[in-house]
Amino acid sequence: MSREALLIRTLVELADNLVDDFDVIDVLTVLSDRCVEVLDVDSAGVMLAAPGGELQVVASSSDAMRGLELFELQANEGPCVDCFVSGEPIVNLELTAVDERWPRFARRAVADGFRSVHALPMRLRGTTVGALNMFRTSLGSLREDDVIVAQALADVATIAIIQHQSAVGAAVLNAQLSEALNSRIIIEQAKGMVSEASGLDMDRSFQRIRSHARNHNLRLTELARGIAEGSTSIVGLDPLPRSHPVRSTSPHLRPGDGSTPA
Amino acid sequence: MTVHDDRMALILSRLAPHDADGTGTLRLCELAAETTGVSGASIILLSDELAHGSLCTTDGVAAYLDDLQFTLGQGPAIDAHAGGRPVLEPELAAPAVARWPALATSALRAGVRALFAFPVRIGAVKLGALTLHRDSPGALNDLQHADALAIAVVATRAILAMQADAPPGSVSVELEEGANFHFVVHQAAGMVSIQLGIGVTEALVRLRGHAFLLDRTIDDVSRDVVDRRIRLEGPEPA
Repeated sequence: MSREALLIRTLVELADNLVDDFDVIDVLTVLSDRCVEVLDVDSAGVMLAAPGGELQVVASSSDAMRGLELFELQANEGPCVDCFVSGEPIVNLELTAVDERWPRFARRAVADGFRSVHALPMRLRGTTVGALNMFRTSLGSLREDDVIVAQALADVATIAIIQHQSAVGAAVLNAQLSEALNSRIIIEQAKGMVSEASGLDMDRSFQRIRSHARNHNLRLTELARGIAEGSTSIVGLDPLPRSHPVRSTSPHLRPGDGSTPA
Repeated sequence: MTVHDDRMALILSRLAPHDADGTGTLRLCELAAETTGVSGASIILLSDELAHGSLCTTDGVAAYLDDLQFTLGQGPAIDAHAGGRPVLEPELAAPAVARWPALATSALRAGVRALFAFPVRIGAVKLGALTLHRDSPGALNDLQHADALAIAVVATRAILAMQADAPPGSVSVELEEGANFHFVVHQAAGMVSIQLGIGVTEALVRLRGHAFLLDRTIDDVSRDVVDRRIRLEGPEPA
């Protein structure tokens, strides 16, 4: 397969993940594997920031790479760490056993057979989510267009990850909203049933349901569902005490409109 | 994509001055109608189960269209929400496919000649739909279409942002007060279910049928039921 064809296939693979069956590990494994296939590098790996902000090794094209990246995180020094913190690329850095910038990392990397290193930020609109690390076992520089290609691949993977994160957040919020609305509706239905069966107005019907739930240690939504589905008898609900109506404790209850905040 | 982003920036900048006084979201429908140059707009929140709420409407016709969709359980917003794609009816009087016969008759009588609905969604997460209506037939041009899509995206963010502050298990106060979730209809359905000895789902269907036959909104009929001015009794109304 030609380099161009491989690149296009990689972009399609990464973009495919934008839609369904999204798996962050899959996306980043594709990214690191293809970097090795398409570019003049020997190993590639991706570190991603966890929700707390600390970097984690997520994908590596080889075990040697994975070991080195874990070491980098433990030592808290190295190209990926610096690139993530600064958000700036580190390109064509020669590794020697004696290195002032990253003394421990460089010694270990050279011992593992690596000679030069590149780290590209994974960032979108000011947010850096991680970094792409690439290592070569021989000296010599990455061509400028290789750097551009690598950054493009990292950018596509970054977009996929950020879209996934926002979609997950949206799904949680939307599920919560749907659930809250649906339980509200069931409570309104139960209020209507109690109101018709017992001649109370909507507010008093709600108070009756709620006080029964409290007396019997039931969840309000579950009791309302039982009433609405006919499995809980309305006649069997505790009557409201006449002289001491249950006071609303909800700040949002508007007695006039008979609606019930959940 | 670039056009989309440019228009989005424009829409956000027009909305921004209103965000400060808390009316930003309610302005979304007006902005949708102004930006796309149609007669009116509404944003409906929908869930796969029961919930159906109007977030905003520009005018009486838009509110009537929302009521019709809720009363009939059919319409462009419901289809756009379910299908996850825009639903366009540029010739309501002579549609290529007759999709919502009952809704079309009532909408035409109210002066609506074209209807366009756009899902309010992010990825697979579906929140509802933006509906545009116009008093003259004809398709939206590309820019109008792009603007409608951009406003649907802004609406998605606005709704999620409003719900983000709500405690688990509740609807945010902003949504609660800004949107109409037709709670009175569900109260009425509960009452009708006791009156007729039927389930609440069937009671809702009966309320819908009753409202449609009398050419009233389901909210109005439900208010009468809850206030005990009418009872639904016996067989289907003739």
